Amino acid sequence: MESVSYQRFPKIKIREMKDDYLKFELRETDASVANALRRVMIAEVPTIAIDLVEIEVNSSVLNDEFIAHRLGLIPLTSERAMEMRFSRDCDACDGDGQCEYCSVEFHLRAKCVTDQTLDVTSKDLYSSDHAVIPVDFSDPSDPNEPSDNTETQRGVIIVKLRRGQELRLRAIARKGIGKDHAKWSPAATVTFMYEPEIHINEDLMETLTLEEKLSWIESSPTRVFDIDKVTQQVVVVDPEAYTYDDEVIKKAEAMGKRGLIDIRAKEDSFIFTVESTGAVKASQLFLNAIEILKQKLDAVRLSDDTVEADDQFGELGVHMRGG
Amino acid sequence: MSNPRINAPIKDIRSRTNRKRLLPFECRQAKVSYTGKFEADVCFQYDGRPVIREKYNLGQFPIMLKSKLCYLRSADPQQLVSLKEEASEVGGYFILNGIERVFRCLIMPKQNYPMSMTRGSYRERREGYTDKAVVIRCVREYQSSLTDHSSVTVRLYYLRNGSARVGFWVRGREYLLPVGIVLKALVETTDREIYENLTCYYDEKYEKVKGAVGSQLLGERAKIILDEVRDASLFTQDDCLQHIGEHFQPVVDELENKTPYTVAHAVLKDYVFVHLPNFHDKFSLLIFMLQKLFSFVDQTSALDNPDSLQNQDILLPGHLITIYLKEKLEEWLRKAKSLIQDELAKNNTFNFLAVGDVRKVMDKNSSVSISTAVESMLRSGRLATQTGLDLQQRAGYTVQAERLNYLRFLSFFRAVHRGASFAGGRTTSVRKLLPESWGFLCPVHTPDGEPCGLLNHMTCSCRVTSYFDSQGAVKDFFDIRKSILGVLTSLGMIASLPKLVHAGPPKSLSVLLDGRVIGSLPSSKIEKVVAHLRRLKVSATSAIPDDMEVGYVPLSIGGAYPGLYISTYPSRFIRPVRNISIPCEEGQDIELIGPFEQVFMEIKCPDGGNGGRSDAFPATHEEIHPTNMISVVANLTPWSDHNQSPRNMYQCQMAKQTMAFSLQSLCFRADQKIYHLQTPQTPIVRTGAYTKYSIDEHPTGTNAIVAVLAYTGYDMEDAMILNKSSVDRGMFHGQIYQTETIDLSDEGSKSDRSHRRFRRSNTDRSSHSLIDSDGLPYVGQIIQPNEPYCSIYNDITNSSKAKYRKGSEPAIVDYVAVDTKSKNHLQKVNIRFRHPRNPIIGDKFSSRHGQKGVCSQLWPDIDMPFSGVTGMRPDLIINPHAFPSRMTIAMLLESLAAKGGSLNGNFVDATPFASTVRAANAGEANSESESLVDELGKMLKSNGFNHHGVEVLYSGVYGTELTCEIFIGPVYYQRLRHMVSDKFQVRSTGPVDQITRQPIKGRKRGGGIRFGEMERDSMLAHGAAYLLHDRLHTCSDYHIADICSICGSILTTHFQPQRRIVRDIGGLPPVKAPKKVVCHACQTSKGIETVAMPYVFRYLAAELAAMNIKMTLHLNDGA
Repeated sequence: MESVSYQRFPKIKIREMKDDYLKFELRETDASVANALRRVMIAEVPTIAIDLVEIEVNSSVLNDEFIAHRLGLIPLTSERAMEMRFSRDCDACDGDGQCEYCSVEFHLRAKCVTDQTLDVTSKDLYSSDHAVIPVDFSDPSDPNEPSDNTETQRGVIIVKLRRGQELRLRAIARKGIGKDHAKWSPAATVTFMYEPEIHINEDLMETLTLEEKLSWIESSPTRVFDIDKVTQQVVVVDPEAYTYDDEVIKKAEAMGKRGLIDIRAKEDSFIFTVESTGAVKASQLFLNAIEILKQKLDAVRLSDDTVEADDQFGELGVHMRGG
Repeated sequence: MSNPRINAPIKDIRSRTNRKRLLPFECRQAKVSYTGKFEADVCFQYDGRPVIREKYNLGQFPIMLKSKLCYLRSADPQQLVSLKEEASEVGGYFILNGIERVFRCLIMPKQNYPMSMTRGSYRERREGYTDKAVVIRCVREYQSSLTDHSSVTVRLYYLRNGSARVGFWVRGREYLLPVGIVLKALVETTDREIYENLTCYYDEKYEKVKGAVGSQLLGERAKIILDEVRDASLFTQDDCLQHIGEHFQPVVDELENKTPYTVAHAVLKDYVFVHLPNFHDKFSLLIFMLQKLFSFVDQTSALDNPDSLQNQDILLPGHLITIYLKEKLEEWLRKAKSLIQDELAKNNTFNFLAVGDVRKVMDKNSSVSISTAVESMLRSGRLATQTGLDLQQRAGYTVQAERLNYLRFLSFFRAVHRGASFAGGRTTSVRKLLPESWGFLCPVHTPDGEPCGLLNHMTCSCRVTSYFDSQGAVKDFFDIRKSILGVLTSLGMIASLPKLVHAGPPKSLSVLLDGRVIGSLPSSKIEKVVAHLRRLKVSATSAIPDDMEVGYVPLSIGGAYPGLYISTYPSRFIRPVRNISIPCEEGQDIELIGPFEQVFMEIKCPDGGNGGRSDAFPATHEEIHPTNMISVVANLTPWSDHNQSPRNMYQCQMAKQTMAFSLQSLCFRADQKIYHLQTPQTPIVRTGAYTKYSIDEHPTGTNAIVAVLAYTGYDMEDAMILNKSSVDRGMFHGQIYQTETIDLSDEGSKSDRSHRRFRRSNTDRSSHSLIDSDGLPYVGQIIQPNEPYCSIYNDITNSSKAKYRKGSEPAIVDYVAVDTKSKNHLQKVNIRFRHPRNPIIGDKFSSRHGQKGVCSQLWPDIDMPFSGVTGMRPDLIINPHAFPSRMTIAMLLESLAAKGGSLNGNFVDATPFASTVRAANAGEANSESESLVDELGKMLKSNGFNHHGVEVLYSGVYGTELTCEIFIGPVYYQRLRHMVSDKFQVRSTGPVDQITRQPIKGRKRGGGIRFGEMERDSMLAHGAAYLLHDRLHTCSDYHIADICSICGSILTTHFQPQRRIVRDIGGLPPVKAPKKVVCHACQTSKGIETVAMPYVFRYLAAELAAMNIKMTLHLNDGA
């Protein structure tokens, strides 16, 4: 039986790229791929986050679990995460998750000795691995921000201490994925929208007066249309601002001009927005996502090819079955 | 007794050297009472010899927090924090054994106001009585500003023959006197004077005129009353006093050997109209009451409703404590007196003048018990009294002030209970919401269910009058009354003088000041007088107090009995309204009004239009703001005017069971249980009350992004889906703190108390990882169920006993507090455990609109629907079916407003009735203002969102657009304290009852849930016989009994111990000996059969046998 190839060759066009922000177009593929990418970026690209906290001294106002939880949510630079092992299947340390292949150790020692409240922040966490450190949110490119002012550049606040209070702990960061706990999710937001195709029925539009046109344009909460000052024609200024809220269509119907506008979502064209927590660069996040998706697909393919269907389900198999 | 004083609380009364202050937080932690030493001088006098003064310690008297003697009294927030209290500590409660107890205010009948009543029980008093009476609850006069505030109720019953009886209670018995005798006994008077006084209200001219209260029957009745006295051959005042005196001599025991004249005098003084010291005043009041009674009987005036707030006052803690203390002191003195008298009679050597001797006798009568009695009253809320103190209930005067959250705590101080006696009653009329309570009691804030309508809460503007004026100085009631009297006489009041006969309504109206008939005013002048009084009330310069109540009851046809009732006494409800009838330049225009006068006033409310008022009666007053009619908690519901009213009631309930940021001084507390929300937020959509009452100090919830859609089916029937990632990030995280107090001096026998201390065992090293060398746990240690957490060592037996954690979940040791009071070694320890309570399936949440729901799933973030534009996923999904029938429009508005507010970065004001207030302020011209929805929609639209608050969402699973636009936005959600972890109950096998061998009940003990009769019925209906058998038999008390088929008994069979004859066969396990069961009665094992039966059956047989009933079973094979 000759198989028909459904293979497509998606294209990507990057529109904007910053360390923690990425906007790109994904074309010639369908919603399943787009959504799979979104889901993988949110929940399955691994990062490193503090997972185990050993508290030696805690005389702060927050209780141990609270501090441990806060520590866990601090984003750590996780470029290494793809190469690291999950501590559960690390064979170097018999799964106790404390070896260099699967974990990074942090120390925190803070004590307030002055009358001024001491802010304990992510900057106070000392890492055993210089590649895995709390994300620095200061923006060196921003000229408004006084980069040398340490008071404003103290990182994520963990707890505030008053005189005499102390916090001393050891923390172990491990590799993990967002599916297990949101702290491992590298993505703050990943979203895509269908690219809209907007067709204005020019003939019908011409039957409108200028006021009607303006009020019609106004009916959209986002600025999709505008009026050309010269020709007084309605033009589409920003199709992507359209949120599929159908406001303009309803307005046209209310004006008795059914069919004034035709808006359709292109089935094969998506505009992605990726915002990273800083753990992984947004571009890297996307690449990692593709990598993970490939691994998952490999697992599926292998399962078709191999006759023995037992040992094929490695770690990815678990994910495939929805583990 | 003189010179009483209470000292401020000090530590450890035994050691006199170090007198340290005892602070409230120490009491809470050490589980002791916050009390001060109560001392007084007792004066002894015997046979007119000189007075001996002797100081007595009357025990430790409970001290209210923030009262004059409390150390927190003058502390500012910063000092409060340094005293380890909340910065916003309000006080007003007591600490008894470490527990905070607050007085539950009670509704009482209005004091010193004669009320016409109908009660079926009046008819049963005696033959000839009707069900009609006029009742007055007299409260002792406050001539000196500090009096005991005790009350005596006097009833004036109407008899079928037209006469009346005065009834009052002495020593738990009601005494009934003919009214004529009392009238004559009170004042030296003549029959003619009484006759004239009684008939003056009837005038043929005014018959059938509006406001006439007298009828021609008055003369007849007066005659009957006087005839009664004459028939008893009592003619003069002395005759009457003699009669009364003889009657009461055996009743009042202190007066046993006094003359009847003195007895009668004392009775009239102490039991009849106790609020009036003057007998002439008593006489005039009795005449007034008779007139009211007759008019009530003739139906020229209407019945007073005792359930209406118009005729009600409030019972305050200070008043109850005073009268209770008074009674206890009197009891003590009486006992002391009799002890000394006994001693004098018995012992000849007893020298009364020798202090030591007296002291010895007095020591038999413990003086400390007085304060103990007060303390135990506050601790248990129960009055231990013989007389009843003229109160309707004995118990329930105090409740524990739970600090579950700030709103709950606050509500304890605003709650007013109708009285426990009504709680059990079948009548529902007391629970009814009456219009008279408008502005004083919140119509929204009452629990649903059993105490509905009985437990009310004061509105946010409602206050209660006290002995203190607005400046905090003690009021001088004598001066106040004098100035009121002066003002009234200058305005044309004819003062009431003895034997002066006044004309009655409608010509003139009686004026009563705090239950004293002070005169009468011509009805033509009265309106002006009332207006003038109100003006004086408002003006700051006059001597008329601003909280005086001018209860003007106008003339009407068959309405309330007319008159001018002026009240100045404490414990009345008052609330501020704006007086718009007086010119505003007089400075203030805020008048304090009471529930009695409110009924007859014209107050307009912005939300009520003109309220159906005609032009003839223009509004004289105006509500300050419509939200003044609801309580503080109800004021926190945003836009509650857009909700269906029961939803607001539910919210008031749920706000009080919210797990919130309960305390800022959490680390100094040792409460039994504290619920604490880890990550609270302040609501984006907030009412004015949030700022006014600084609710942000104790926030109660989180702004969650709520999507309203039917998704996955897990949001059916008020279930809700939480986003797992949101929960991971800390949404609604919380913990329960639970304190165990271990007091070595409390437990165990007395003998080994001193030998016990905290120490861990040296021999048993297994617990060393959990318990430190001091016998207490490590702070931060996780303790699993059934692990020890502290160890007590006994010096004598040389053994140590550990305490084990109960329950089924691990706990973390949060802190350990030790009592350093005793010098040698620790006696008392507080160990606080922390239970993490992060949201799981089954936990309860609610919005602020009575929309509660249970978390049904923690749904993965990636499977949640997302917005294509912003990429947002909801924190929480609720089902749209939650809205149509419940009509909580405000929740939808809140979602819209919060969305707009968060986009613009500001809070949104959601004070209810804001639009009507605005419309009223803007005037009629500009009344066509926009609707709220449009306003909010505009805000959204300007930020590029749909103005209805809906958004296009994409399925998180498929990435395709959802067919509908979804309503999504932030809503403030509360986490309720009902959590599965505290409630789940499951068992497969477990402990059974000893007697019946059936599973025991109770979650704590690992019992099962009852499979009851109705469950059984449903099983039968389904024909599920096998399942039924399994549940009720196999899984319950399945038992195989040996029964003797010969005699049919199951009790006589027993095992016969058998000698083993079986030889051991090498290597094989010994063969089980054949069971041999023998029947005792038949002496044989022939007929023994085994039958499966419930074990209780055997128990039944045994019980019956104990009653000499033999049960015989007939066995057959059942074919």
